[in-house]
Amino acid sequence: MAAATGAERSAGGLTAAQKILARASGRARVEPGEVVHPRPELVIIHDGYVETAYEQLTALGYGRVRDPERLVFVTDHEVAYTTPRAVERGRSIRRIAKSWETGRMFDVGRGGHGHLFPMENGLIRPGMFLFAYDMHCTNFGALGALAVGAGPEITTVLATGTLWTIVPHTLCVRLEGVLPAGSHARDVGFLLAHGFAEGTWNVAYDYRVIEFTGPGLQRLDLAARVALCSSITELGVANVLFGAPPPGIDTAGAPDFLSDADAAYEARITIDLAKVEPQVALPGGPERAAPAGSVAGQRIDHAFLGSCGSGMYQDFVDAASLMRGRSLPDGVRMFVVPGTTETARRLADDGLTQVFLDAGAVLLPPGCGPCAGGVMGPLGSGEVSISTAATNHEARFGAKDGAAYLGSPFTVAASAIAGCIVDPRSFRGSAR
Amino acid sequence: MAALVRRGRCHVYGDHLPLDEGIMPFRLAIQRVNDPQALIPHLFEGFDPGFRERVKPGDFIIAGRDFACGKTHIQGFIAMTALKMSVLCTSMPYKAMRRAVAEGLPVLVGCEGAAAFAATGDEIEVDFSTGGARNLTRGSVTQFPAMSPILRELAASGGARGALTAWLRDHPEQAAGETVKP
Repeated sequence: MAAATGAERSAGGLTAAQKILARASGRARVEPGEVVHPRPELVIIHDGYVETAYEQLTALGYGRVRDPERLVFVTDHEVAYTTPRAVERGRSIRRIAKSWETGRMFDVGRGGHGHLFPMENGLIRPGMFLFAYDMHCTNFGALGALAVGAGPEITTVLATGTLWTIVPHTLCVRLEGVLPAGSHARDVGFLLAHGFAEGTWNVAYDYRVIEFTGPGLQRLDLAARVALCSSITELGVANVLFGAPPPGIDTAGAPDFLSDADAAYEARITIDLAKVEPQVALPGGPERAAPAGSVAGQRIDHAFLGSCGSGMYQDFVDAASLMRGRSLPDGVRMFVVPGTTETARRLADDGLTQVFLDAGAVLLPPGCGPCAGGVMGPLGSGEVSISTAATNHEARFGAKDGAAYLGSPFTVAASAIAGCIVDPRSFRGSAR
Repeated sequence: MAALVRRGRCHVYGDHLPLDEGIMPFRLAIQRVNDPQALIPHLFEGFDPGFRERVKPGDFIIAGRDFACGKTHIQGFIAMTALKMSVLCTSMPYKAMRRAVAEGLPVLVGCEGAAAFAATGDEIEVDFSTGGARNLTRGSVTQFPAMSPILRELAASGGARGALTAWLRDHPEQAAGETVKP
């Protein structure tokens, strides 16, 4: 929470975050460090928090939320009800949606992951400002939208239609070069998270917008952008944005959502994509990155493809490219979780679902999959997992004494087939 | 706007004091204990065993960089707020700062040199609207960054809960009426 400097207060260029927050706050210009009250176009809450928010506001005497038409309920944390309590929760959420006159309700089997399907169905648009309950809403930065994870303070947004927000500084990460075969945007994210946490560049990252720019962006599709957004979010960054329009998205008519050429970035660093090798995040957090080869041979019991960070169509194309015609070894169970119902449909139409089923993997319904506390496909005591989950903190997928590694779709697919962690570049798994 | 001036004795700590096991035992966060009276006896228990006997309502925590780091469990903030404590620190993670203020805990960040300004046991008075601070024990004064008026108002009026109560008072059309009960 640093105050804006004198230089920034002069009429210099603006970052994308400044532009979007100024617009949402009804201001011509806002400066990093300022406290503003932006009005969101949407407010998104997932099935894990709707009841709590309702109970809290009801206890205070509220019967109505401020802007029900902007409110969106998504169902991604517990999609296939596995307990009587989950059935009851679903029933309760539907009643709350009715009581609050919630604008949009995406129930079980409708939409999928709330950090992915709103980018497919047009709910999220470039330049938009929104609040969400969950921190991984930073995904929407891939599309040029600024989404702020309000956490428990989402109740304030529901009641008042806004929430105090400090305009964040922006850190510019210039990407140069091209990723080598076998490396993935997810690996870039792990390396960045590691470098931030270790102080490699001696830059502040807490509550900073990380903005990717440079020629390296050109070869990164929307799924790659989402992977970058997701893999650094858990560090506590404010948001993740990009210095070029989202690939394949029509931005005609969108408000200005890109930083000015002379924007006042707080710091700049450069990453050479050509030097990025496949990484894994060791158990404990995405920032605990290490070369995949350094833990090669680590036996695994459990593998999982999907989550908000790697649940888009291209992620499964990447994984299937290594799994086609191959089988999982005995003792390895693998869960494949398409991020959205639309992605699930495309995977089925294009024959990719069959590739995973033929390998012996289990297809789970669109949503968070095991990453939401292991309510589906959990990790057992003493077991080892490798996955594309959003994070791998202790007990994230179930057992507290399970060991959860993270990797790219390439690394997870190759490791699942090998039965142990492998560097996907050296993967030579035997075909059936 | 409500003034926010606090006077109390200091407890001075260093950098990187974590929420879990530093400010409050992790088990109380996991158990989601939210009763201030159950939490207060455990405040700073693992880090400063003498704190429980020493602390008095209105006291200040003076800390260095990265105060309240780690997972943002709120139990420590609940206990400190109930004791009407305040925090001066060099820095704290943004999310922790938000949660502290949302619980109603006055926090001043950017207080470089606070540890040199006061020692544990010194009595100080801080005006959060100006950042002006007096060490009554030493007879010295210093200037810290002021607390944003919006955050100060929030902390002074009982945090997010107090603000929501006030909002409903001003917007009776949002009060519960004939709604469907889940």
